Amino acid sequence: MSEITWQDYKKNKEKKSSPLEGIRVLEVCTMLLGPIGPALLAQLGAEVIRCEFPPMGDVTRSLNPFGWFYKDQSPLLLHINQGKYWVGLDLHTPEGQRTFCELAARCDIVENNFRPGVMEHWNIGYRKIREINPGIIFLSKNGYGQWGRYARENRPSNDGASQALSGYSYMSRFPGQTPLKMRAYIGDNYGGMVAEVAVLAALHYRDRTGKGQFIEFSQTENVMRPMSWIWPYQQITGKTPEPAGNRDVSVCPADTFRSSDGIFVALAASTPEEFKGLCTAMGKPELAEDPRFKDHLTRLREENAVAILKIISDWIRTRRADEIEALAEQYGFAATHLYTAKDLVENEHYRARDFRTEIDDPMYGRYRNYEFPVKMSETPPNTKWSVRPVGFDNEYVMRRFLGKSDAEIQKLYDAGALAKWRDAQGRRPPPGWDGKAGLRTE
Amino acid sequence: MAGNKRADWSEWSSWIRERDDPKIAHTRPEALDDLLVLDLSSRSFAGCHCSSFLAEHGAEVLRIEPPGGDFIRTCTPYGIVYEGEGLNYLTEGRNKHHITLDLSRPEAREIFKKLARKADIIIETYAPGTMDDWGLGYEDLKPDNPGLIFGSITAFGAFGPRSRSRMADYDNIAQAMSGFQYDTGQMLPAGKSYEECPWAVPTKSGPWIAWFMAGTFMAMGILSALHWRMKTGKGQALDVATSEAYARIDDFVALWYEHTGRISERFGNLDIALWLYCFAPTKDGAVFLGGLRLEMWQAFADMVGKWDEWGAESWTNVAPFTKEEEQLKWSERVFAETRKYTSSELVDMSLEYSRHGRLAPITCVVAPILSPEDCMKDANWIDRGIFVPVSDIIYGDVMTARGQYKMTETPPRTHWVCQPAGHANESVYARHLELDASELDRLKNQGII
Repeated sequence: MSEITWQDYKKNKEKKSSPLEGIRVLEVCTMLLGPIGPALLAQLGAEVIRCEFPPMGDVTRSLNPFGWFYKDQSPLLLHINQGKYWVGLDLHTPEGQRTFCELAARCDIVENNFRPGVMEHWNIGYRKIREINPGIIFLSKNGYGQWGRYARENRPSNDGASQALSGYSYMSRFPGQTPLKMRAYIGDNYGGMVAEVAVLAALHYRDRTGKGQFIEFSQTENVMRPMSWIWPYQQITGKTPEPAGNRDVSVCPADTFRSSDGIFVALAASTPEEFKGLCTAMGKPELAEDPRFKDHLTRLREENAVAILKIISDWIRTRRADEIEALAEQYGFAATHLYTAKDLVENEHYRARDFRTEIDDPMYGRYRNYEFPVKMSETPPNTKWSVRPVGFDNEYVMRRFLGKSDAEIQKLYDAGALAKWRDAQGRRPPPGWDGKAGLRTE
Repeated sequence: MAGNKRADWSEWSSWIRERDDPKIAHTRPEALDDLLVLDLSSRSFAGCHCSSFLAEHGAEVLRIEPPGGDFIRTCTPYGIVYEGEGLNYLTEGRNKHHITLDLSRPEAREIFKKLARKADIIIETYAPGTMDDWGLGYEDLKPDNPGLIFGSITAFGAFGPRSRSRMADYDNIAQAMSGFQYDTGQMLPAGKSYEECPWAVPTKSGPWIAWFMAGTFMAMGILSALHWRMKTGKGQALDVATSEAYARIDDFVALWYEHTGRISERFGNLDIALWLYCFAPTKDGAVFLGGLRLEMWQAFADMVGKWDEWGAESWTNVAPFTKEEEQLKWSERVFAETRKYTSSELVDMSLEYSRHGRLAPITCVVAPILSPEDCMKDANWIDRGIFVPVSDIIYGDVMTARGQYKMTETPPRTHWVCQPAGHANESVYARHLELDASELDRLKNQGII
C-alpha cells in the first residue's frame, strides 16, 4: 500500500504545493545557527527574505574547506541558505531600520541570532516589531539566551562552545582521551532545527488564535537535550558518566569494529531475534543462550557487554566488510561500513529518494545538495534555487514586498540603507556571470 | 571599535525575563492542546523524541506499546533501571499517556482503527510494510480520516531500493551511514598503528544524535503538514530515513568530494573549514577557541600577547589560515600559548579583553570543556531554569533535559517524565472509546491490551 503513497514521488514533486506556502520569513542572521532554520522553512515553501550588512555580508561567505570555494562561493553558505531572497540592508542607518520594520510588517516570522540587546539597539527589537505586527513570531537564537550571567557578560559563542560547555564533547570520545569536537556542527544545526519546531508550534497557535509571540533560544541549552540518560544518571547514581568511544552503552551489542580488509564497520543487534541472527552468522548460535547474554538488560551489564563485544570484534577481524554487510541482511542484524563523502555522493538509494537532489540554478548551475529529509506525500519539500551575492534581490524585494518605486529605491541607496556586494570572493557573482542570470522580474 | 558600543542589554533582558522565565510557564496556554497524537514508536528513540516535542507543547499523546512495554525501555546505559524504567525512556516518556495494544491481534487492530479515526497525527517506526500488513497503513486509514497526518521514521525510509532492508533502525548505524563518524575523531599519529592507538579512529557522537535529528525533522514535517491541513483540511503521509536526517546537516563534504574528488578525513579537534576554531589544551584541561571573524582571531593573538610577533595588524582575512598546512602550523603556535594558562584563566582573559582590549568589545570565544556534571552545577543554567527536576507522581523528582527554549505565549513544559507501560489504559480507553472496566478486563485477560 505504501507503494501507492510514494509512487513517482520524485517525478511529481515539483508539481505539488508546499506546506508553508504563503508564510513569509524575515531574517537577519549570520553564520550557521541563524540561517539554517529559515533555509529549512524555505525548503518547506516559505518565502524567506534574508538581510545582510552590505557590502561584505555574512562572514560565512568566507568559510571553506582547506581553501576550496565552489564557483567563488563558500560551500557552507551554499548549503544552508537555499531558496532565499537576498537584501543588502545596513541596519546601522535609520532608513535601513525603517525598511526592516516595513518588511517585518508584511512577514509572519522574524529571526535573528545576535547577542541580547542588539536588535533593540537597532530599533528592530521584538517590542518594536510587535507594535507594527501583533501576530509576529519573533525568534532570537544565540549561545546563551537573553538573560542570565553569560548573557550579562555578553559572551560570544559558537557551535564549538555549545559542545564544550554542555558536556556533549566530554561524552564523545574514547575513555582517557581528549573530548572531541564533532565534525558536524551539532549545536548549530540541531539548534536551528529545534528552534523551528518552536516556531512551527507557535504558528499553529497563531493559526488558532491570531496571537504571535517571542521565542528565546540558546544553542548550548539545546544541545543538552539529546544527552538523554546522562542527566538522570548523574542524579540517580551520583556519578559522572564516562564516555565509551564508539560503543553505545544503552544498546548491546552496538559498536564499531575493524574488518579483515581494514575497514571500519558499525554493528548493532539488540533484540532477541537480531542477537540470535548475529550469533548464528558468527557460527556460535549457543551464545544466544549463554546466561551472560540471555536478555538485553543482562547483556548491557559492563562485564557482559565487554565480553560479547570482544567476541564480535575477533570475528569481524576475520571477515571482509562486504561479507559482514551481506551477512547482516541474510541473518537480520544491522551492520554497515562507515560511509565516506564518496559513499554518500554515489548512493543510489539517496538519489532514488531525491534526498541527494539536483539543483538547477541560473547562477550556480547544476549541482547536488541535500533535500529537506522529510518526504511529504501531499506537499513535498523542495529546494528552489541557490544562494545569491550580497544585495542581489534588493530591487525585487523592495518592489514586490513594499511596492517601492525606482525613485524611492534610489533614495535608500543614497542614504546608504541599501547596497550591493563588494568585488570580493564569496560576495560577488560567480565568474562568467552574464549580468542577467538569476535576476527576478515581476 | 567605533560604532561598536554594547547595546543596552539590561532593560530588555529584564523585560523579556518577566515574560519567558520557565517559572511562569504553568500560567500560559499550550500551543498544541487541540491535537490527539498516536505514538506507535517501536524500539526507536527517533519516534519517541518526535512525540515528545508534540507532548511538550500540550498535544494529547497516546503512547501505544505492546503489552509489557516497548523494547526501547530496555535500552539503558549498562542495564541500569530506575523504578523499573530504563534511563533513556525515563526522560522520553514525558507527558505521554501510556496504553498497551497488541497489534498482532485482529481485535487490537480494530481498536486501533477506532482511535485512528479520532487522531490528528500518527507517529510510527515499524519496518516499512509492517503497518500495511496489519491493514493499518496510511492508505488504509485515510478513507476514514482524510485529515490524518501519518509520519513514519525508519532506517531506510518507506521507498527506494534499500527500503526493504532487514536492518533495523539504530542510532550508531545511522551515525555510520551519515558520513559524520568517518571524518570525526583523532588523527592517527604519524608512524603509529591502530593497535597502538585504538582511540585514533573514526568516532561517533556519544549521544543518540542521529535518532534525535530524525525525530526533530519529523516534528518539523508534522507541524508544517498541520499548517497545510489548517488551510486545506488535507492530511498526508510523511517519511523519514534516520541516516538521511543526520546526513542532511553535512555542510559541504559531499559537494567538496563531488567537485574535487577529495574525501573529508579526520582532522582531530581542528576544523577543516574554519579558523580560528578548535579545542585547545590548557594547563588543567582544554577549552574551545572560536574566532571566525578576522577581528576575533586578532583579538586572540592580542589577548595572549602575540599581536606584534604574529603580525596580527597586517592580517586582512581569515581564509589563508584555513588551509591544511597553515592550520597545522598555527595550531601549534596557539596551543603553546593556551598551555600556559588554566581553562578558567583563559575564559577570564577573554572577558577582560572584551572590556579593555584593543579591539573591545570584540573578543575571542573561549569556552571551557566541561563534564556533564560540571555543566549541571553551572549557576547560569540553574538560574535559567534548565536543571530543575520534574516532580513526577510516580518516579519522584527526576532530573531530565526539558524543552530548553523559552516562549512568551506557549512555553513548552514537562508535566511528568514517564509512565509504566499500560499505566493509562483505563482512563484513555474510557475517555476515547468508552470501554468499561469489565470490557477492559476481558481485553487484558486475552492479552490484547
